[in-house]
Parts: sequence; structure tokens; C-alpha cells
Amino acid sequence: MKNYFTFLKKELLESVRTYKMFILLTVFLLLGIMNPLIAKLTPEIVEMAMPAGMDITVAAPTAMDSWLQFYKNVGQIGVFVIVLVLSGMLSAELSKGTLINLLTKGLSRSAVIFAKYTYMILMWTAGYALSYLVTWGYTVFLFPKDNASNVLLSAFFLWVFGVFLLAVLMLGAVLSGNSYGGLLITGGVFVICMLLNMFPAVHKFNPLTLGSDNVALIQNTVKPGAFFPAVGVAGVIVVLAIAGSVMLFRKKQL
Amino acid sequence: MEIFMEYWPFLVPYMVVELVLAITALVHVLRHPHYRFGNKVIWIFVVLLLQIIGPVVYFVFGRGEE
Repeated sequence: MKNYFTFLKKELLESVRTYKMFILLTVFLLLGIMNPLIAKLTPEIVEMAMPAGMDITVAAPTAMDSWLQFYKNVGQIGVFVIVLVLSGMLSAELSKGTLINLLTKGLSRSAVIFAKYTYMILMWTAGYALSYLVTWGYTVFLFPKDNASNVLLSAFFLWVFGVFLLAVLMLGAVLSGNSYGGLLITGGVFVICMLLNMFPAVHKFNPLTLGSDNVALIQNTVKPGAFFPAVGVAGVIVVLAIAGSVMLFRKKQL
Repeated sequence: MEIFMEYWPFLVPYMVVELVLAITALVHVLRHPHYRFGNKVIWIFVVLLLQIIGPVVYFVFGRGEE
């Protein structure tokens, strides 16, 4: 247990010194500011882009548009950036051989995996919360009259999707031992989820649903219960992926 | 300008954060002249011209070991 906290502290310190924390927080902050702004400015941009004489009426933006931007930007760019930034977290130490010293001095291999996964979740949570709070604040400020339901619950589901992808990244990093392999496997899982979404029967259980149907939940066209099977599936995969990472990493030749 | 006056509470923080990101990356590029690939000139352009993505790519891929 002591191992775990020490290693987690080391991970956090490392992420500050390699600017990873800084990069993630600023990117998520920028995404947070961008969402309500794009929602608000869309009608003006469309108007400017239209040739003179053409008349297209764009509906006045609402809080819904702001959340739509949030799930589009954070769910795609945000998730992409966090996976990209964290993809090297195991391979860098393996290739430089800095981990070997610690392991021979008695650091347990499972503590390494658990601490690294905790660190990934912490980074994702911090960035995500920052982006969410900024978008929420500006949305309330810009669209004070609009009510949106299930905003927090909906945000929780996308968070679960991020936790799921990071577990896949962890397993991919252990399996391949280099950062590109981890990225490739995570990307592959993402594509498989997208392909599976073509079958309506699977849609309910697909973890991708957690990041794609959020706006419908805010609009109240989907009930929260519709997400539970996907949360369950994502949870099971997270447990399996982390257990698998621990087992593989224990046997791995360093 | 009209749009700017109306939306400055968004645009100003956005620009400030973006500038901080670009300048941090620029300072790092200038002070650590060892890169995994590319050279100083390339990274200066990448970091300053590609908004958001430039600094991220630099810190993730371009930054050399110390």
C-alpha cells in the first residue's frame, strides 16, 4: 500500500515536470471555454459565411447547443488528447529502464499498474471536471432561461467512457510495451465499438453509447436507465483489463 | 469588433490561455535544443502557428530527453 502511494506521488510529480499536467489542464480549459462560445456564435458565423441575398434562418441557440458542443468537443478532442498524452506513461519507463531499479528494490509490479491507472483516472477527472465547470458556468451565464435536465448524470456517463478507454490503453501499453502499440489498440477498440454500434441490438450495451447519447439524455428523449447496461459492460471491461494488465505485467520480461 | 465587445468575457480568457500554452511551449523549445525529431525552427513554427495542437504535439512527441 505504501508502495502504491509513493509511486502515485512520483507519477503526479513526473506529470508536472514533463508538462503533461499543464498541457491537459489548459487543453480542457480551452475546450470548456470554446463550447458555449461556439454555440452562441454559430448563427453569426453562418450569417457571415452566407453569400449576400441568401436567407437562411438559424434557430436561436440554447443551452442545449452548448452541451451539444461539450459532448462533441470533450468527447472527441478531449478523449483523444488525454489518450495521446498518457500513451507513453508505461513505455517511457520501460524503454529507459528506470523502472527496473525500483522493481528490484522491492516495488511490487501490481502496485505499478494500480498507481499508474489511478494517476490516469486522476488526470482525466481533473481535466474533465475543469472543462465541465467552465462550460456549465458560461452556459448558465449565456442562456439563463434554458433548463436542461440530467446535466450532471449525463456528464458522469462520458466520464465513465473515458475511464473505460484509459483501462484499454493501460492493457494495450502492457501488451505492446511501447506507446504506439497502446495507442493502436485503444484506437482499434474505439473503431470496434463504432462498428458494433451498427447493430441496433448491441447499441444498449456498447460503451460508446456513454459518449454519444448524452445530449439525448439532456433533452429528456432518452431515460437514464438506457445507459445502465453500457455502464455495466464498461465496468466489467475495466476490471478485466486492469486484472489482465496486472497479470501480464507480472510475467513480463523487462 | 462588435462581436468582440459583446463576447469579450469568452474571447479574452480563451486567448490568454492559448497564449500561455504557446509561450510555455516556445520557451521550452528555445531552452531545450534537443528534440526527438525536427529542429528548432520547425518547432517554433509548429508551436506558434498551430493553435492548441502545436504545443500538445511538441510536448508529447517533440520534446527530447534531458
